[in-house]
Amino acid sequence: MNASTMLAERTATVRLTDLKKRYRVGDDWAEALKGVSLTAAAGEMVALTGPSGSGKSTLLNLAGLIDTPDAGTREIAGKPVDGLDDAGLTVLRRERVGFIFQGFNLVPVMNVADNVEYPLLLLGRPAAERRQKVAEILERTGLAAFANRLPDALSGGQRQRVAIARALVKSPSLVIADEPTANLDSHTAQQIVDLLRELSHERGAAVVVATHDERMSAHCDRVLRLADGELISGERQ
Amino acid sequence: MKWILFAWKNVMRNKRRSLTAMLITAMGTAAVLIGGGFALFTYESLEEMTARDSGHVVLAAARGFDNDEDVPLQHGLAGAAALAAHYAAQPGVRAVAPRIQFSGLISNGDKSTVFVGSGVDPAVDFRLRGPQLEFVAGEAPGASDAVPEVAIGNELAGLMKVKVGASLTLLATTTEGNLNAVDVIVRGIVKTGVPDIDRRLVMTDIRAVQRLLLSDKVGSLALYLKDTAQTEAMAAQVKAARPELAVRTWRDLAVFYQAVRALYNRIFGILGLIMVVIVAFAMSNTLGMAVVERTREIGTLRAIGTQPGEVVRNFVLEGAAIGAAGAALGMLLAGGATVALLFAGIDMPPPPGRSVGYPLLLSFSAPLYLGAMLVVVALAATAAWFVSRRAAHKPITEALSHV
Ligand SMILES: Nc1ncnc2c1ncn2[C@@H]1O[C@H](COP(=O)(O)OP(=O)(O)OP(=O)(O)O)[C@@H](O)[C@H]1O
Ligand SMILES: [Mg+2]
Repeated sequence: MNASTMLAERTATVRLTDLKKRYRVGDDWAEALKGVSLTAAAGEMVALTGPSGSGKSTLLNLAGLIDTPDAGTREIAGKPVDGLDDAGLTVLRRERVGFIFQGFNLVPVMNVADNVEYPLLLLGRPAAERRQKVAEILERTGLAAFANRLPDALSGGQRQRVAIARALVKSPSLVIADEPTANLDSHTAQQIVDLLRELSHERGAAVVVATHDERMSAHCDRVLRLADGELISGERQ
Repeated sequence: MKWILFAWKNVMRNKRRSLTAMLITAMGTAAVLIGGGFALFTYESLEEMTARDSGHVVLAAARGFDNDEDVPLQHGLAGAAALAAHYAAQPGVRAVAPRIQFSGLISNGDKSTVFVGSGVDPAVDFRLRGPQLEFVAGEAPGASDAVPEVAIGNELAGLMKVKVGASLTLLATTTEGNLNAVDVIVRGIVKTGVPDIDRRLVMTDIRAVQRLLLSDKVGSLALYLKDTAQTEAMAAQVKAARPELAVRTWRDLAVFYQAVRALYNRIFGILGLIMVVIVAFAMSNTLGMAVVERTREIGTLRAIGTQPGEVVRNFVLEGAAIGAAGAALGMLLAGGATVALLFAGIDMPPPPGRSVGYPLLLSFSAPLYLGAMLVVVALAATAAWFVSRRAAHKPITEALSHV
């Protein structure tokens, strides 16, 4: 165990233990995850790599609390997750988890500022606080000039920056990013990864990012490799 | 506020589709409001017409309404003058009109025909009936002790070949069963619009009728109230004070009014029901498409912490917004039609048994408009709830992979 891993163990904000998940395929079962454990510390960015179908998305969905495992336990910010009902999980996601999607998934009728404000609205934050936090993160992500634009009027890189702002505006414990750069050119992808890492470091959020992109994983604190539903680790500094 | 704005933005997302739903809703609302306005106007006109005709509360002696007299005024009301004076002094009463219905033969010397007579107090009755009694020639008969004056129906005048100023003879059976006659002068010719009545109607001073029938009773006393709404209260008061009398309200006597009201209530009730179904369908369709299109967005919002109930609420607000906009437009349309008809001067064809039409007008009723708005908004919200609740509870990973 190297220093980084030990740090992660000590201050783990996300702790996934022995997660199993299988899907029904016709008459058979497909084992998507065969007992995977993962921890990530606040401010740490963990890359999840592996061939297509190795279980990256499945693991991210479990980590992000939008899917339930068949076995194993989960803990976020010290709170055990399993046993919560749908409403409880939703509240936990609302307070603790940010999402960044491959397809950006912004709300098309909301302008940039409204998209970023949405998570704070869900949390019932007062208007003044919302305004201030949105302005702050738009400034930080270089979107201040685009606050009133609709997502349609933005480039892919700009849209993903909005998504990053939306995920991090509430300073979550965990950010889930499933192939966030797959729809972007390599130069833009690089900028997005850098922004995501800097911002999550600043705000103390653990990031788990699934990617095929070697250059992207090179910028992460740790790289985990999945194959056929199992972690074959391959930690790297 | 933010949520309402969000809902409205979503409404405007597919303008054509939302507009279609709004227009359908507006048409439905307008149809119901116009139909309802027409029904209300008809009820009000008939109420006024009937109340003017019969009086609001009508008193008679026991069995006075039974129409089974062997001789005239067998069940007549005695001491009517004192009773009339008593009720005329009551605060809510505008006037008291004594009446005798009688019949017999009317003759011009050459030929005679059956008449249906109405003995009235000329000083009050013609004033009370107002525009309903149209004088096509001459004027209202007065109270004369010498030769009684009459007003007769225009068709009867034609039949008798008489003009104003001519003299006629009335023959009738007295209360004692004998035949009696009186010469009268035609003072006016009237038209009620009901041919059956205009062919037989003779109106004259009630005292002349009493002399003809050899009685000092009257058939009935009609109380005209200042406020139609007080009808039931007054009827109850009379019943309590004079248990020996038979009491009817204009509503009891208005068979036509009751029939029309029952019919219209049914017609416009069914119309309303059809509109409810149409609006519900339009709403479910529009919102159902919106929900399917936005499945991935629903998944996204759910992932970042939106509760299913909040997703549904957004759609309910959206539906309510479309419904409210549509209903408001429908109100404008119906209100516009109401005002336009005031100026258009369109006449409805005469109802069955009548020879004159009546103006096509709509009544404006704030409760009706408000109720329609509430129903439409509730309907739209319910439709939205119905079509969105499944998508809102769909597994998030499934919703997110929806294309
Ligand atoms: N809803 C599902 N129903 C059935 N099988 C599924 C489902 N989701 C995933 N799987 C299967 O589970 C395994 C892991 O899938 P997963 O999507 O996690 O892989 P991945 O590593 O994200 O792949 P990719 O790099 O292509 O995104 C695959 O074999 C896949 O076919
Ligand atoms: Mg995947």
